[in-house]
Amino acid sequence: MADPRQGDAKGDALLEMRGIVRRFGDLCANDNIDLDVRRGEILGLLGENGSGKSTLMKVLFGMLAPDSGAIALRGQPLVNHTPAEAMAAGIAMIHQHFMLIEAMTVAENVMLGWPAAGRILRKGEISARVREASQRFGLDLDPDAQVAKLPLGRRQRVEILKAILRNADLLILDEPTSNLAPAEVGDLLTILRRLRDENKGIVFISHKLPEVLDVCDNVVVLRAGRVAGRAPVAGASRGQLAEMMIGRDVSKPRDAGSTKPLGAARLAVRDFSAPGLGSLSFEIRSGEILGVAGVDGNGQLELVEALTGLLPSRSGVVTLDGHDITRSTVAARMKLGLAYMPADRGHTALVKGMSVFENLMLRDCRRSPYGRGPLLTRAPGAAKARALMADYDIRARDPDFKVARLSGGNQQKIVVARELDRRPGVLIAHQAAWGLDPGATRFVLDRMVALRDEGAAVIYISSELEEVLTISDRIAVMAGGGFAGIVPRAEADMRQIGLWMAGRAA
Amino acid sequence: MSEAAPALRFSTMLQGGRIRLKFRGPAMRILVALLLSVICAAVLIALSGHNPFLAFVAIAQGAVGSEHQIGASLNRCTPYLLAGVGVAICFRAGVINIGAEGQIAIGGAGAASVALALSDAPPLVAIVAALLGGALAGAAWAGVATAIHLGRRVHEVLATLLLNFVALLLVQQLLAGPLGQFGAGFLQSPLMPRAAWLPRLPGFDAHPGFIIAVVAAAVLSFVLWRTPFGFALRVAGSSRLAAAYAGFSLPRLTWGAMLTAGALAGLAGGVEVLGVHRRLIEGFSLGFGFKAVTVALLGAIEPLAVVPAALFVGLLESGSLAMQRQIGVPSALVTVIEGLTMLFVLAATAGRK
Repeated sequence: MADPRQGDAKGDALLEMRGIVRRFGDLCANDNIDLDVRRGEILGLLGENGSGKSTLMKVLFGMLAPDSGAIALRGQPLVNHTPAEAMAAGIAMIHQHFMLIEAMTVAENVMLGWPAAGRILRKGEISARVREASQRFGLDLDPDAQVAKLPLGRRQRVEILKAILRNADLLILDEPTSNLAPAEVGDLLTILRRLRDENKGIVFISHKLPEVLDVCDNVVVLRAGRVAGRAPVAGASRGQLAEMMIGRDVSKPRDAGSTKPLGAARLAVRDFSAPGLGSLSFEIRSGEILGVAGVDGNGQLELVEALTGLLPSRSGVVTLDGHDITRSTVAARMKLGLAYMPADRGHTALVKGMSVFENLMLRDCRRSPYGRGPLLTRAPGAAKARALMADYDIRARDPDFKVARLSGGNQQKIVVARELDRRPGVLIAHQAAWGLDPGATRFVLDRMVALRDEGAAVIYISSELEEVLTISDRIAVMAGGGFAGIVPRAEADMRQIGLWMAGRAA
Repeated sequence: MSEAAPALRFSTMLQGGRIRLKFRGPAMRILVALLLSVICAAVLIALSGHNPFLAFVAIAQGAVGSEHQIGASLNRCTPYLLAGVGVAICFRAGVINIGAEGQIAIGGAGAASVALALSDAPPLVAIVAALLGGALAGAAWAGVATAIHLGRRVHEVLATLLLNFVALLLVQQLLAGPLGQFGAGFLQSPLMPRAAWLPRLPGFDAHPGFIIAVVAAAVLSFVLWRTPFGFALRVAGSSRLAAAYAGFSLPRLTWGAMLTAGALAGLAGGVEVLGVHRRLIEGFSLGFGFKAVTVALLGAIEPLAVVPAALFVGLLESGSLAMQRQIGVPSALVTVIEGLTMLFVLAATAGRK
């Protein structure tokens, strides 16, 4: 075992990344990032969606080549490496979705693609090693158990076990707790601490501040491709970390609030719950925008899908303009005036292989002017599509242009045009401006404000707090599948919102 | 399952209110693929010691050399086309239905049962009723697979594929029992009553099944491109998530596509029984259902394009016997050509959208 690797003691430098730059077209996903991991350190890597975490890790693992910058592991430079070379050098990546063959046993999965397992299967020997490592790190894994029968937490441990047996020194865990039950999370954190005690280095990527504060030694916060801050966890509070993630220039809401008095309640939600969603009660009135802020993955998707009828609810009542829609189909809700802009544009909001025209009529193909009775009415539909393209500035050559060939901004404008043109009474917009440039973002937000001024009620869900603050009349913060707090914008206190986002209820 | 469905995508586009096939990109690639497979076939024939040119001439003569042969070729194409159009509709909707084989057999049995039961009916009534019976029987068989798929969440490939074997055995059982001809020494039904025979088209030795099939292809192409139902099918085939978001009911779409395909396959069986054999014979449709899948894919799961695809396969098979008779090249070689064509067409179109 006496591997003559230099610097094996706790605290020695393990990974050094210097000046990593990676661009995608105009977008600078990683802008001169430095990252250090020491032996025996758990480093939390924090950041919103699109802040550059995944890009940085892909660069480290050799899945993406950096435009510039240098990487060294144990002082040895890693240049133009492939993922296989990264693994051989001692880096292990544990993805959110496990790379295991479910029909095989734990031991068989460990052997898979492992050169040291040899060309001839030595099942007994591998099983013994699995058992030994499992004991040493408290993984509690049976080498002969079939992976399909293991709960998700155990499957994750198989991945960790693979990394350990392959002598990985640096483990990268991407959102490791997102699929785990609370009890499993505790076990995982214990295992990570044991790995730290064995002088492994760990990068812990997460959105969830409590866990980060619980297990990490230091944190690095990325924001818009840059390092927004680094700090030892010991002295940090959730509020500070939340502020680092969100940015500093969001303290003063702009003044775009509704001046008219609010009308009747349009969408009322009482004691509502669904899988992944705690009990929720709120209502939105005519002429109001309710902004829902919060770190992604805290129940936002579950909330919108349950409200729009894509997911079944568990209990509670939802009424839309007085109609009980708790059990209604997606189509019935749409008919009553519920519009929805999903966050997932690629597969849900749009059919990319179809034309602009077909996507504009996606949810309205049975309604005039797109269809009448059992037929599509092509000419009036195409005229309508042309009008919408002009109105919403959708830049495509003609209505038959394939959506896949449009830019993200133009794609989103199709969704916006389709959902707003129906003159909905209630609009649910999830990440409606995500990934858009400032001009397109402004455009989308303006259209929503205009809809509100016409008397609609809007739920605007975004992980970009700035957007939420810009257009909302009231702000709710989601954490852990429920509203941590809800407050009129005039009374919004940034520190309070940061705390709510970090998961502390009001 | 849905993602894998349209392995081929044809550039059928809605343009200026008309359905138009764009004959540049993909269609060109398919033609090149056909050409390559013909060249490969020529090499194989040459290797077996024959003149490929003469072999192709023999195939052509056998397929379209006389009115009789044209008729026989069209009859051969008909079940492939009918069932192939149904398969294409299913694949469009992202439902991988490979149960046409069984649906054709059950459809044939259904048509035969109705025809035998209506022995005194006037011709038109007998034919319409028997064909309807075949279509309903085929749809019912597809319905069984759909119910298993949607009700028990069995993958539709398994449900449809395995029911094929059940269907073939069921038809055998019927022929050994209620539908069988006593003392025939062979599993077959008695001859259909004359009133139920499909008439011959004047001048050709063909029954009108091919015309029915072309009309069916045209109707389904219209449904696919010009109705909200067809639009919903296409959306579901592209993205289940988008279809659910659009408010379409996925189970209902699956039912619609499967029942349509089952009815068309059943009709294919009925046409074959009433138009060609005039009795139900064990194994009368062996391999037809899988040919239908071939034809649907060759036609890039576009109902109208399935017509030339079915013609290609049917004419080739029909000509192959003449080739064997005249110059001694085994007719099995045509199966090789079909296989090569599939490979080339898939290679030419896969991964391109």
